[in-house]
Amino acid sequence: MVLPIVPIQGGIPAIGPVKLPAVSGAGDGAFRSMLEQSISTVETQRVAAQQSVDRFLSGEGEEIHQVALSTQKAELSFEMFLQVRNKVVQAYQEIMRMQI
Amino acid sequence: MVDALGSRLSHYMDLLSTRQKLVASNIANAETPGYRTKDIDFQFEFMSQVAGIQPDVHGVEGLKVKNDGNDVSMDREARLLAENAMRFNLAATLLKSQVKMIRSAIQESK
Amino acid sequence: MSLFSSLSVSGSGMSAQRQRAELLVENMANAETTRTPEGGPYRRKDAVFSTSEQTSPFSSIFQKEAGMGVEVTDVITDQRDPDRRYLPGHPDADKDGYVAFPRMNPAEDMVDLMGASRAYQGNIAAMSAVKDMITRSIDLMR
Repeated sequence: MVLPIVPIQGGIPAIGPVKLPAVSGAGDGAFRSMLEQSISTVETQRVAAQQSVDRFLSGEGEEIHQVALSTQKAELSFEMFLQVRNKVVQAYQEIMRMQI
Repeated sequence: MVDALGSRLSHYMDLLSTRQKLVASNIANAETPGYRTKDIDFQFEFMSQVAGIQPDVHGVEGLKVKNDGNDVSMDREARLLAENAMRFNLAATLLKSQVKMIRSAIQESK
Repeated sequence: MSLFSSLSVSGSGMSAQRQRAELLVENMANAETTRTPEGGPYRRKDAVFSTSEQTSPFSSIFQKEAGMGVEVTDVITDQRDPDRRYLPGHPDADKDGYVAFPRMNPAEDMVDLMGASRAYQGNIAAMSAVKDMITRSIDLMR
């Protein structure tokens, strides 16, 4: 059996769209748009870091300090996204717990 | 915030790195007949704020030309070697502390 | 051109100075050699340096700019007439009693050898500085 060749995955997994629960009432767009913005920033940074690493590995003249910088930025964006997501989920749970 | 992380410092490091490569070439060719010292206009390139383009490499004024046409001064190159290395070190350290700051800010909000 | 190809540039400098030193040592060792396989006395040799493009072994063929290193493109043998000294009893003396000795300036060669040694050290310093910069960049990621 011939094993397929699997490309090496980057350190940070891809983030797809997140299914947000429908929230009714005023300001329902705020949480959603904040989360969506975080996701798109993270994805941009992750792709940039991946390309930077690829260019460096294939010897196309990417400087090592540029690779360091772009991977650090991707990591930080991801960490920030995680915190934002946690806060959003927390806030949602708070709201759900409120007795009407 | 993360986007702007050290973009000026990164450009600074790019230019220092380019300059150091030229210093290495100058040192290797310190006795090659006809070779002229190469350098970039560091201040001009940094102030022009456009990272990512290759800086112009040109000759250096005021160097004494030896009989075989070579004008490399080991004193100048040794001095530049040391200075570039120190400045690069400084920029890397500053970047590192910026990253740490942002990371702390993210983690403080837990 | 990446910092890594700069290491190749310094390496080429070290290699060229080493070859130059080897020729100088050969010259000095043969300062009094009157007999060679080609016939006649030893003739001193000189290395000719010229620039040569250096890339890192890891760089791709799409590399835009290569570093400017150095290589020994030619070894020039001295073509001047040998130094003739009057030594009638010498086994290599010709019919007039003259022996052909190498035309040499040992003091000059000694000074050149010191120069080659200093230039070699200069290249080592350059390589060390570049290696340090690469290490600091990697450190950013820790």
